[in-house]
Amino acid sequence: MTTALQMDDVHKWFGSHHVLDGFSLRVEKGDVVGLLGPNGCGKSTVLKIVCKLLDLDAGQVRLMGEPLSELGYHARALVGLCTQHCALYPDLLPGENLHFFARLYGLYDRERQQRVDELMSSFALEQFATTRVSQLSGGWQQRLHLAVSLIHRPKLLVLDEPTAAVDLEARMDLWRFIESLRDSGTTILLTSHHLAEAERLCSRVALMRNGKVVAEGSVPELLARIPGQAVAKVESEDNEAIVQRSIDLGWTVRHGAGQMRLLLPRDLSLLEIIDALKGIKVSAVSVQPVTLEDAYLELVGDSPWMVEPSNLV
Amino acid sequence: MTSSHLFLVQTLAVAQRLLLEQWRQKRGLIFWAVFPSTMMLLFGLVYAHNVSMRAGLDAAAAGILVGAALFFSCLGGTVAVIAAERERGTLPRLLTTPLHPAAYFLGVVIAQLLLALMQVVMLYSIALLIGAKYQGSLVLGGLILLLSVFSYVGMGFFLGARFARRSEEVVVALSAIGVPLLVLGGTFFPLEIMPEGMQAVAQINPMLHMNQAFKGVAAYGMGFHELRFELTFLLAFCGLSLALGIQSYRHLLGGNKSQ
Repeated sequence: MTTALQMDDVHKWFGSHHVLDGFSLRVEKGDVVGLLGPNGCGKSTVLKIVCKLLDLDAGQVRLMGEPLSELGYHARALVGLCTQHCALYPDLLPGENLHFFARLYGLYDRERQQRVDELMSSFALEQFATTRVSQLSGGWQQRLHLAVSLIHRPKLLVLDEPTAAVDLEARMDLWRFIESLRDSGTTILLTSHHLAEAERLCSRVALMRNGKVVAEGSVPELLARIPGQAVAKVESEDNEAIVQRSIDLGWTVRHGAGQMRLLLPRDLSLLEIIDALKGIKVSAVSVQPVTLEDAYLELVGDSPWMVEPSNLV
Repeated sequence: MTSSHLFLVQTLAVAQRLLLEQWRQKRGLIFWAVFPSTMMLLFGLVYAHNVSMRAGLDAAAAGILVGAALFFSCLGGTVAVIAAERERGTLPRLLTTPLHPAAYFLGVVIAQLLLALMQVVMLYSIALLIGAKYQGSLVLGGLILLLSVFSYVGMGFFLGARFARRSEEVVVALSAIGVPLLVLGGTFFPLEIMPEGMQAVAQINPMLHMNQAFKGVAAYGMGFHELRFELTFLLAFCGLSLALGIQSYRHLLGGNKSQ
């Protein structure tokens, strides 16, 4: 049995709002799966269902091969949750927080002490052993939060935008920790608004829109679905000419947020692009290989980027 | 680990955490001690000064314990615990652990019971120093204390789960509910000097019966038989308040599951 989590045709309503509309996802053991999508597409609802914080209305969820509904309290010992909001006890020390949650999971005295020591050391929290959580910086609090979610050695780690509320330095730190967890074989399901985060950490990505998965695969697989290998971002006062020239050249045009994105069939240099657009007044142009951001914009398709050239001109 | 062992470990973990948090909040702890002690001293000195009212000194300790100390620490403390869990986001985190709801409930009761015992020792030490006497059965006093703490914690869960969304609301809600109950509970004035209508309303105030039961044991040495009405009322109220508290706590957990 290699599947850690399997969700089939899951539906969830909040009143008349159909938040999950036939959501399906499979997470294999050892996978790091990123769940990406716009605000309100149902990402957090999926995580809450997996963590048994919400009941589903229809569909089936299996955790480690067992139906979630039949696992009862046992399911909670299989999953560890870390959210962007640091849900810890501010007047307690880091070790005290770890000990408290370890006891809730029923870790024995010696095993508990060993696990707490191990996490304090792995997350470099020993230097703050006598500092209350309220006095730690946001980044260190989030580090501890992640350590707490690992206290019971969960089979599935659920990360809900884990780096959304921390600064860049702390984010890089947390990425390194998550990478080391990934490398040690921990199965992770994460949501994020940082596409670079998903691109760096995830072995597979599921793109969500309106409560269902619209595209799924490894990052290279998703990139292969973009009609281009590189993207040129162009700023010009003469968009009509850019569109016409691009069509003539067989390039795909996307437009939004005051910027043209030209999806190029091969990796062209900046000089080649400038040469191709000769005769058109261009104020700025840049080129880079396609990224997950381009795949997201292309496949989630719910953004102003998706205005077709015919609507534009 | 068996499920009953896990339940015990979880209960003690919750109780220990709450006591540790209380201990760390030094300022809160000072007010926790100063408020009822000051009340005790003020009431005690007034009674002790007036020879004709000297007997009232013994009774004052019971009223202050039940009204000023236990109400604000056990009921107020429980409401504050729930509001804080909500505000800090620790409630959903607890729900992701195998923590049994009853273990959480019992953990809060144990923590509040220990705090209540400390207040009893503190207040009665002051009361004894200024001349009051504890006349009755310690077992009966302990039973009334237990019923009072369970009732207050049950009501605390009810109010905390249903109404207190933020910590700031706790103080306002407690003052709005607590002070009228204190007045009607005979903490400040004896029931006899109240208008008849107020006396009738006071009869349904559980604080009055806690007060009278504690006063009966502590100040007048009354036994089970003489206090059977108060004890029955308290037992019924304790049952009702625990039922309300548990139901509200379930509602709180269920509410989280449907949002």
